[in-house]
This record gives sequence, C-alpha cells and structure tokens, in this order.
Amino acid sequence: MKMIKTLASSSMITLALSVVFTVTSLAQSPKLNDAEVASVAVTANQIDINYAAVAKTKSKNADILKFAETMSNDHKAVVAQAVALVTKLKVTPKDNAVSKKLMADAEKTKKSLLTKSGKAFDKAYIDNEVAYHKAVISAVEGLLIPSAKNAELKGLLEKVVPALKVHLSHAEMVQMNFK
Amino acid sequence: MSKYGICFAFIAFLFVSCSSTPEKPQVYTVEIKDMKFVPDDITVKRGDTIIWINRDMMAHDVTEEGEKLWSSSVIAPESSWKTEITGAANYFCSIHVVMKGKIRVQ
Repeated sequence: MKMIKTLASSSMITLALSVVFTVTSLAQSPKLNDAEVASVAVTANQIDINYAAVAKTKSKNADILKFAETMSNDHKAVVAQAVALVTKLKVTPKDNAVSKKLMADAEKTKKSLLTKSGKAFDKAYIDNEVAYHKAVISAVEGLLIPSAKNAELKGLLEKVVPALKVHLSHAEMVQMNFK
Repeated sequence: MSKYGICFAFIAFLFVSCSSTPEKPQVYTVEIKDMKFVPDDITVKRGDTIIWINRDMMAHDVTEEGEKLWSSSVIAPESSWKTEITGAANYFCSIHVVMKGKIRVQ
C-alpha cells in the first residue's frame, strides 16, 4: 500500500515537473506573433477551466471545491477579456506549436487526474495547480509578454500576471492541507 | 484687561466652542486592482464610510476576517460596495483568500 502511494505520488511529481519543463522549454522557443500569443493565452486559461471542471465532479473537499470554483470563474473572466480584445483588434487566434503542446500535455494530466479519487485526487489536483500556475506565470512573463506587439494585448497579459500569482499563493495554501 | 473683560472673553470662547458644528463623516475610497486592496491599510474615524471599487477583471468581495462579522456580497468588475465603519477590522477577499486589508479607527 505504501509502495502504491509512493508510486502515485512520484507519478504526479513527474507529471508536475513535465508541465514545468514543457512550458519552461517552450518559453525559450522562437517568439510568437500576436495571433499565436492570443491562442496560447486562451488555451492556457481554458486548460485550467477544464481542470476545475474535473475537480468539481470528483472532489468532495470544501477547500478544493472552492478553489476550483474560483479558478473556473477567474479564468473564464480572462478568456472573455481576451476574446473581446481580439475581436476589437480583428485578430484571429492561431494554433501553434506552443498551444498544441499545452493542450496535448493537459489531456495527459486530465486522464491521470480522472484515474484518482478521494484524497489522492485532491492532492494530485492541487499539486498540479501549483505546478501549472508556476509554469504559466513563467510562460506569460518569459514568452507571451515579450512576444506581444500590440500594446493592448501586452497590457492584458501584464494585468493577468498578478491574478496568476494570487492563484499560486492560494493553491500553495490549500496544498499545505495535503502534505 | 478687567475681570469683566476676561469673563466676557471666556463666555465668548465657550459660545464659539459649543456652537461649532461636529466634524462631518468622511467618505474614503479603496480600489481593488491588480489583486490588491489599494490602500491595504487605511485609518478613518468611527462613522466614516469606505467605498471599495473593483477595478479588476475578476469578481471580489470584502469580508471581516476574524468572526466574519460583516461581508459584502460579490463585487463584480467595475462595481462597488460601501459600508459605514463602526470599528477597526482586518478584512480579506473570501474568493481570493490571500488578498488582505486593514481598517484602523482613530
């Protein structure tokens, strides 16, 4: 039993590290144009909305459910702002290597989360939220903001960073309950 | 100055002191922007009013931190909530629990 727990824990750590590694390595990839930046921004937000939807169906923990509800509402608000901005700028978000890789990795993470239940699920979900927010903050600051040419798009990305950092602090606070 | 003069001056001083109007309650503004209360530490007098204005793209609230003695409902983006201050308080956003503020009363 202890061995199973250790394996489950190490697989989630591997998964979390792979998220960090992927986005960090993506942050070193060539710069994106504004249509591609918009696509990555919307994809990254949509992924966390999807994780929250999984948590809302699988968890019974009040802190996890409250956190998931906040993630869902906040990231939907960001997506709405991004969609309004690209509509105004007449920019059509364009899929690219970064957004495709993010979505492919998120599907793997989602599948892994769906195999778990109870406290194991809660721990895996919140561990992933901590790792994912660290990775996304790194990507927004290191790739998306430097790549964005339009001032309003850059401004929106800069405005999202404090929210991502508050989400990370909140996730780390919830994570303390599952140590 | 004669004793009548001193007496008159004293009565005049009392009259002016008693007839001056009490200080009017003030209205203060705290903006919620970039996931922070700005200012996050404010000093007011009992009876003053604080208005919180949400400048973020996310919804927030304002909730007394200790016993949850008072709380706004959800403050939508570009909306506000106000309350008359009856005492000092530490408060936070119960949606984003790491966002905190303090009200001091003089």
